[in-house]
Amino acid sequence: MNAAAYFLMIDMESEARAIARGLRRRDPQLLDRLIEQYQHRLLRYLLYLAGNRELAEDLFQETWLRVLERGHQYDGGHEFITWLYAVARNLTIDYLRKRRPVSLDGLMEDEEHAPAEPADTRPLAWEIVAQHEQAERISAALVGIPADYRETVVLRFQEGLALEEIATVTGAPVGTVKSRLYRGLNMLMSRLKGAEA
Amino acid sequence: MTRDTHDEARKLITLGDALSDAQQIWLRNHLEECVSCRDYAEGAAQMVSALRSVPVFADARLVRTTQMRVRFHAARLRETRERMWLVGMACLGVGLTATLTLPVLWRLFAWMGEQVGVSTLVWQAEFLFFFIAPALVVSVVLLARGNHVKTHGQGSRQW
Repeated sequence: MNAAAYFLMIDMESEARAIARGLRRRDPQLLDRLIEQYQHRLLRYLLYLAGNRELAEDLFQETWLRVLERGHQYDGGHEFITWLYAVARNLTIDYLRKRRPVSLDGLMEDEEHAPAEPADTRPLAWEIVAQHEQAERISAALVGIPADYRETVVLRFQEGLALEEIATVTGAPVGTVKSRLYRGLNMLMSRLKGAEA
Repeated sequence: MTRDTHDEARKLITLGDALSDAQQIWLRNHLEECVSCRDYAEGAAQMVSALRSVPVFADARLVRTTQMRVRFHAARLRETRERMWLVGMACLGVGLTATLTLPVLWRLFAWMGEQVGVSTLVWQAEFLFFFIAPALVVSVVLLARGNHVKTHGQGSRQW
């Protein structure tokens, strides 16, 4: 390990411990900062997990309330984002169970959950319209694959989590994560090819 | 080359940078020989790059609302904790006082019973009532207060 990577790791560890201490105190300034820091990543994860922007925004707020209540459970031993995703995931599953007894996979069959809409509805410059259309196609394809695979693909390729971190968040063995990644990416590629054809 | 070899190569491609040195070398050698897996690798790379370019942003309204709710909830949790601390300290105080005064009060009631000339059962029953009366009064007050909050407090919490 080179010196820069070592110091980066030390820095991340002390940051995680500082967050853990702040969460135990329920420090409002720290929570404000964390909400701002992780807003996009958490919403993106919830959006693809829930498949619906309105629900994702509700779950986004509930996730932070749960972080406030159960912050003492975060020990700072691993990255905060991993713990945050696990909290959001459990909350989503609880919500879906309460709403009706279905698995996470059942969400995609629900007609009222339209493909994830892009967040930015402001007028776009013509140079990026093509890119935006591609993003919409990818979002639609993502929502079309089973939730377990979608979640793994999003965590790996959008959020950049390591396989072990994804295993921690989802509670699945690393082998299962690898398999979901492979199948999920294949499904996504074939869906996009089908949409382009 | 068997089908298993291609499957293995494609699985490794999807793992991206999570490969060991040996796996990377094996995959590189395989890709040099296999056109279809090379195409697959290019497709996967394009897909990953496209996935990373999908714009999903939280808007400022959502962030502000969340921060406000979290602060409000934190204040409520703090109030509850302070109240529980007060209740705990009060219970501790009552318990200690009761333990210390119990023998003295018992003798006092026994002496008063003898002076008045009532039977042992009567002064013991009076002692029991005297001992539990404060707890009964506090329970009734708390119960009444709880009902009041339940009836009138819900409206103010809907926001």
